[in-house]
Amino acid sequence: MNFLDIIVLLTQGVGYTVMVTLACSATGLLVGLVAAGMRRLAWFGVIPLLDGFTYVFRGIPVLVLLFLVYFGLPGIGIKVPPLLAMMLSLGLIAGAYLAEVFRGALDSVDAGEILAAQAMGMTRLQILAYIEFPQMLRFAVPGMVNEFTTVLKYSPFAYTVGIPEITKQAMTLASTTLRGIEVYLAVGVLYFAIYRILLIGVQWLERRYRVPGIGLA
Amino acid sequence: MALIEIRDLVKKFDRQVVLDGINLDVVEGEVKVVMGTSGCGKSTLLRCINRLVEPSSGTIHFRGQDITGHGVDVRALRQSIGFVFQQFALYRHLTVLDNVTLALRKLRGMSRAEAEEKALHELARLDMADHRDKYPAQTSGGQKQRAALARALAMDPAVVVLDEPTSALDPVMSREVAQLIDRLHRENVTMLCVTHDLLLAGSIADRVTFLDKGVIRAEDTIAHLSKHHPDEQVRAFFGCEENAR
Repeated sequence: MNFLDIIVLLTQGVGYTVMVTLACSATGLLVGLVAAGMRRLAWFGVIPLLDGFTYVFRGIPVLVLLFLVYFGLPGIGIKVPPLLAMMLSLGLIAGAYLAEVFRGALDSVDAGEILAAQAMGMTRLQILAYIEFPQMLRFAVPGMVNEFTTVLKYSPFAYTVGIPEITKQAMTLASTTLRGIEVYLAVGVLYFAIYRILLIGVQWLERRYRVPGIGLA
Repeated sequence: MALIEIRDLVKKFDRQVVLDGINLDVVEGEVKVVMGTSGCGKSTLLRCINRLVEPSSGTIHFRGQDITGHGVDVRALRQSIGFVFQQFALYRHLTVLDNVTLALRKLRGMSRAEAEEKALHELARLDMADHRDKYPAQTSGGQKQRAALARALAMDPAVVVLDEPTSALDPVMSREVAQLIDRLHRENVTMLCVTHDLLLAGSIADRVTFLDKGVIRAEDTIAHLSKHHPDEQVRAFFGCEENAR
């Protein structure tokens, strides 16, 4: 069995790794957007709740939250499927970080433009949807790439709840072949390949929506 | 009846009085110019008119209706008042055309095709149709100002309010803006302009209102204010400005 054979065997887990990464990133993106949007709207009583959310979810380790959801909740009669457990742990933690990334990016939106939209008669929600979010998402690209990369790197925790992603496949292969160095080197190569593909996708999106005068040069 | 009637308008921020008993009328079809030094309350006055800033006391009647009280549809009011800001405040992520169509689509409920037709008419009126696909960062200061004006005019407002329209422009572009305002005046567009640019004021209106420390100190022709007004401070303001010309 050569190095290429090992990579081919491990690719069985790539689909699961990508699935976990996309599901948790999407959860994080949605939660981050909702949290940042609600903070911006500053509806009554929402700010302390959002502060509490980011404080707790940025402070708790992914594995602890994952075990709490997957192994803890069944104790009170709530059985959570593995992928959902990942979304409720890694996804929510990513959401807490992204909410802060978006908060910073929203602060970069020109206050004059928001005032102009108000002066035109737009509602606060319309301003958020048509002025602030479209600009904020462009400002937030570097922070989002960082967070999606972190999600990818935390995705191996999925094996602890029975999802047969790359690391799980690697552990099985290493224990049967006793060729740990090649196997885990191959795991690294695969993760790097996924990261590169993710980056190419983000760079394509960034070019597609690039606007002169906004965001990265 | 005046289009806008402001009576005894007071605005305080905490204990600081920014507007102190303002009385001002804007008649339909006229260009009203309010002048004054920086920080005299000009922008606050404009922002009280469309309720971006809440007045502390006094009344503002717009088309005969008091708009300072409760129960006023503030969003509808704002749609009737076109606002052009000092720094233009164009939406950076939208092209010039989309800057003009956004409010038409989202506030007036027009289809994209209808909104673009209307927007292109306004852009052509201000010689901006050729720049419709540019983003704000790709346009000059004068073009930004015209795009901002087209955005305001597209909503068919009862009055266009201009907040220091030439402060971010060089003298050549300032003259262009003055000519543009003059042209819109001839087309019967009602405008309220605050500025400290005497050249602009002299080009677009016969009489100006002088605001100082939140109080209207004078209203007359620039020539009279600079030479014959009894208040030395008023003469100094207009005299210095005139000398600077």
